[in-house]
Amino acid sequence: MKNYDLLVLANKNLWRRKGRTVLTVLGVIIGTASIVVMLSLGIGLVESQKKQMEQWGSLNIIRVHQAWDFPGHEGGQQKRLTDEAIAEIRAIKGVTAISPAIEVGGEARFGRKIGHIMLVGLEPGLMEQLEFSVSDGRLLNQDDRFNVVAGSQVINNFWDPKQRHNPWEWEGPPQGDPLELLDQRLSLTLHNNKQQKRIYNLNVVGILSQKTMERAWEVYAPISELRKMRDFINQGRQDNSFQEKMYMDEKVIISPGRPTPARPAPKLEEQYSFALVRTDDVGDTRRISKELRDRSYNAYSMADNLEGIEEAARRFQAILGGIGAITLLVAAIGITNTMVMSIYERTREIAIMKVIGASFREIRWLFLAESSLIGLLGGSFGIGLSFLLSSVLNRYGASFMNPGGGMMPGSEAIQISMIPPWLVGFALLFSISIGLLSGIYPANRAIRLDPITAMRHG
Amino acid sequence: MPILELKKIVKKYRVGKEIITALDGVDLVVETGEFIAILGTSGCGKTTLLNIAAGLERPTRGDVIFRGVTISKLKEKKTVMFRRKQMGFIFQSYNLLPALTAQENVALPLIFDGIKPRERTLRAAKMLKQVGLMERRKHKPAEMSGGQQQRVSIARALINNPRIIFADEPTGNLDTRTTMDIMSHLQQAVKENGQTLVMVTHDQEVAAFADRIIYMVDGRIVQEKQGGIH
Repeated sequence: MKNYDLLVLANKNLWRRKGRTVLTVLGVIIGTASIVVMLSLGIGLVESQKKQMEQWGSLNIIRVHQAWDFPGHEGGQQKRLTDEAIAEIRAIKGVTAISPAIEVGGEARFGRKIGHIMLVGLEPGLMEQLEFSVSDGRLLNQDDRFNVVAGSQVINNFWDPKQRHNPWEWEGPPQGDPLELLDQRLSLTLHNNKQQKRIYNLNVVGILSQKTMERAWEVYAPISELRKMRDFINQGRQDNSFQEKMYMDEKVIISPGRPTPARPAPKLEEQYSFALVRTDDVGDTRRISKELRDRSYNAYSMADNLEGIEEAARRFQAILGGIGAITLLVAAIGITNTMVMSIYERTREIAIMKVIGASFREIRWLFLAESSLIGLLGGSFGIGLSFLLSSVLNRYGASFMNPGGGMMPGSEAIQISMIPPWLVGFALLFSISIGLLSGIYPANRAIRLDPITAMRHG
Repeated sequence: MPILELKKIVKKYRVGKEIITALDGVDLVVETGEFIAILGTSGCGKTTLLNIAAGLERPTRGDVIFRGVTISKLKEKKTVMFRRKQMGFIFQSYNLLPALTAQENVALPLIFDGIKPRERTLRAAKMLKQVGLMERRKHKPAEMSGGQQQRVSIARALINNPRIIFADEPTGNLDTRTTMDIMSHLQQAVKENGQTLVMVTHDQEVAAFADRIIYMVDGRIVQEKQGGIH
């Protein structure tokens, strides 16, 4: 018997009892939909958590900080960020890009306004790889020298000294328009320990998009210029004691214009403030972040926090999926019941088919095909129903769960239910298998049927 | 060479605690192209004999040899192939599938043989034309008379061009006129193709169509005589 004929015959048999078949299929529809919707809630939970975390920092970026020296704890435990260290990290499998960074803070002017900025020097060509993106303007390129890209909140560092302003008084969240800075000039004033002063004029060529809050308050410049700035600041420094080193940048901010007496620190010149490491996915990030800590680097990434959240979500999903599975189990029993009933009604028919040349295998597969068809139909419509339920949940459930919808600026609406393509495939395969399994018992009954008695009494 | 040989067939059934002997040492040789009628009252074991001859039931003892192969000792998988390719069946109660049209019923044995739909339809239509039911080919069994249904079932039995046809009371549910009609139809079809027909009946007149009539009483063959009146 050809497979095509088998399916046609199975389909024909199925629709002889329309009401019963429709009811059985309905059971599978509800079962499938409940599994899919339950799992989609779990997936939506994990994804929305991820999205929320991405607002604070990318999941593909690891930040490696300079070693912290404490008195009595002379940095023997943590490795320092030198060129050698950068090369070591770059060699780790899974690292797709790394840029050392130098931070320099200082007093700055923007038109009539004054304020402080934190200038961060990076490899300009790597910005895109390190997941910087601009909302306006452009990122840095290799030829830039005094062009910079500003974070979206940098504008809020500046104030007009002519207006009454109390920096300690909370005036609500800063509201400056980041675009005000675009194509404008920032003047950064740096001092060194020899009482010298230098003014750098920086041209803002791009504004970072608001996605990563971690980067919103900093100004990014080519690292080559920052090296020179750092060298300038360190002139006259005599000592690299704990305090000096650690707060080298802060000192400039805390007491602008008031040079700090210090002694030279030769080793300091070779070290970076931190480094940004790019990986290809969350798994790599987590692995490499851990490996860096094992190698005594001061590494940190947003992905480190994911594990706990995912563990909780997995438990949540297991419970929800379990509820769905029970529904589908009931549906499976429904299929078996329908098929057994159908065999009772069709004993004579099965007997005839056996007599005129149907083999055991063909009879068995006829029944398995019928029960699988029920699974397939139920699965397909069940997936359709799931998408419907999912969109209803997302439209009405989301506002219910986040009243007011007060989200981080620039964040997308959270989906509480998500149905990825793999879930569709899984649900379809699962419902067909349920149909197939439910048909095994009835099919075996059918082949055991004795054709002679069946035809005599059927 | 005989097409079918039954050797010392014994068939016993267990009914509750009692053991009933349906067949008690039956020997029968059927020659190729022969039309044999097995005549007997109900309960004499004639239907059991037919089932065993067709490989539908296994004898308790004895052998069934079909064209040199002892089919009573074969596995189900093998006997199915004999039924599919070389045997045709006609029943008292027609045994058509109610969900299928006349034409689909006739074509059913070809489906199991893996023959393509186009060829099935053609061959089924040809068979229906032979039994004079061309205009009824789209009808379901429930929409046809008993005689028409039996003609459909004859068409189904003949479609795979079998070497032997087993008929179990083929006219048991039909009136006299239809019976004569069906029987001459069957006789003619079988003779034309040189096929062998083994028929079970309790009706003397129907049996008279056969070349040879076997009389059965209580699971034994008691008498044999030449037929051929019609």
